[in-house]
Amino acid sequence: MTSADMVAADASATPTSVELELDSEPKKRRFSELPIHLALLVIGLIIAVPIIIAFFMSFTPLPEIVGRSNPSILPETWTLDNYEKAWKASPFPRYMLNSFIQTGVITAAQVLLSILAGFAFAMFEFRGKAILFAVLIGSLIIPFELTFIPNFLLISDLGLANTYAGLTIPFLASAFGVFMMRQFFMSIPRDLYDAAKIDGASDWFYLWRVMVPLSKGAIAAFTIFAFLAAWNQYLWPLVITNEESMRTAQIGLRFFLVNQERATDWGAIMAGAMIVMVPTLIVFLVAQRQLVKGIAMTGLKG
Amino acid sequence: MLSMSAMVLTPPFDNDRDHVTTTSRKTRKSPSDAPRANKPSWGATGKAMLFILPTFLVLGMFVYFPIIESFRLSLNRVAPFGGKEIFVGIENYTRLLSSSEFWGTVGVSVFFMVGTVVFAIGFAVAIAILLSIPLRRFSWYYRTMIFIPVVISSAIAGVLFRLLYNPVVGFFNYWLSLVGIDGPNWLTSRTWALIAVTITVVWRQLGFNVIIALAGIQQIDAQLYEAAKVDGAGTFRRIWHVTLPMLTPTLFFLLVINVITSLQAFGEINILTDGGPGKATTNIVYQVFVDGFVGTHFVGKASAQAFLLALLIIGVSIAQFQGFSKRVHYQ
Repeated sequence: MTSADMVAADASATPTSVELELDSEPKKRRFSELPIHLALLVIGLIIAVPIIIAFFMSFTPLPEIVGRSNPSILPETWTLDNYEKAWKASPFPRYMLNSFIQTGVITAAQVLLSILAGFAFAMFEFRGKAILFAVLIGSLIIPFELTFIPNFLLISDLGLANTYAGLTIPFLASAFGVFMMRQFFMSIPRDLYDAAKIDGASDWFYLWRVMVPLSKGAIAAFTIFAFLAAWNQYLWPLVITNEESMRTAQIGLRFFLVNQERATDWGAIMAGAMIVMVPTLIVFLVAQRQLVKGIAMTGLKG
Repeated sequence: MLSMSAMVLTPPFDNDRDHVTTTSRKTRKSPSDAPRANKPSWGATGKAMLFILPTFLVLGMFVYFPIIESFRLSLNRVAPFGGKEIFVGIENYTRLLSSSEFWGTVGVSVFFMVGTVVFAIGFAVAIAILLSIPLRRFSWYYRTMIFIPVVISSAIAGVLFRLLYNPVVGFFNYWLSLVGIDGPNWLTSRTWALIAVTITVVWRQLGFNVIIALAGIQQIDAQLYEAAKVDGAGTFRRIWHVTLPMLTPTLFFLLVINVITSLQAFGEINILTDGGPGKATTNIVYQVFVDGFVGTHFVGKASAQAFLLALLIIGVSIAQFQGFSKRVHYQ
């Protein structure tokens, strides 16, 4: 969308009578919105431009990228060669499969274990509860940098380097997820639990038939966080895999860049980047509202 | 359109509220459950353990145990091959603290930190103020473009900016040439490589910061603006005297998060500069990676550095707790 289109669209909107009643100065207000539109459009384009460039360059033929004297964002001719090349020249299908397995296992396990532990911390009274909860929360301030060397040594000693187990096991649980689930479960009236108990429902039944359906929103938000965090992991998959067949998409992209850059094949590199980015972009576009709300509420990115 | 008015920026560790909830629940529970209210039965404890055990098993093996193991390793010299360990006490630490290489990596970390804090927070607040103005249309498009870096990985950010910085096919120097500036060698000059990595880190952090700042702004009581307006304050004075002071708790939160995130920058460096040229963009994390995993391994030294970095990050996180309790009292 160009700024001219936007201004035209903006000006074509006529105020309804309701708006006129509500706003005594609709004309003046409309006029003063214009600079804000322009400012936000320019800022938005500046922020999004690296992704926009990558998108268009992934469809630009190689001779055009190297041959033109001035870089241009839009391709003159469109091609799918770059995607074909990225898909074939490098085992991108394998990288993507690895990433989907790694992300799927981590996300599913974190959601499941967080629901279980969150339920216990929200609903049960048990010995050591306060201490265990403090220990759990305390782990949130431990940076990954402190734990990844011993984890690397442990996983290697267990012979799990270059396996899906090695990629996923250290991340199967999430203290943040337990905390988030517990907070949400505690907001559900306890009377519901007591009533279900009187009706003879087991804790297990109550959790899966009452709590979980009532907590769909919170579970969805945490699932998005867990998915994005796992998909975007970098340091751990970089050190725990050194076989090409076990690399995740992010790591595969790094080595693809190193190889293709020598050949200045930027179209193929950008095609690779788009392939790796697409799952997260889809999540962003589909669940933007939930993601933004989740970040604003928890102050965390997952 | 996104409606964020109902959003509440809850601190991750809202102890006060937890306390209130648990207390009220206990009081409600005690009449029916009087004998068990203070000492839960072992049966109940056993049942709870089944629910929490998987989580604690994983955290125990991969978070709690490694903390101790990391510290133990940092007190040893570990043979690069075969992993034979010799206890050396605090030698790794004393060597680090007297080595210029270590202080160089600290300097790089501080550079990223200051750059990220100043620019990623500064821009984010300005953008969030603009976004908080109600518009009749297009808000969703602006927000989408501005929030998008939030889902971008460090690897993707590195790859995208590596293209932009490229001297031949890249865009930055071409755009600079349009306004008559001869662009620098972004990734091969020591100074510019630092700036190039900082720009990338700031870009990736911006979406998150805008979301938090916007939520903070939308929590400010509209009556304060009305009052300021009645007193004759114009737009800029209202921003300066109402928005920014009321936003200080949010700004403090952003400061802490941005310090932690920038100290942990790794993927961008790995892809853009590999820590170079020379050691120009090697921060503490990167040196831990190099010592622990590249060429000859120095696991003891790497662990000692990781431990020092962790102390720094934990210190900042504790400051975050303090800041949160202040905020709770503040509002």
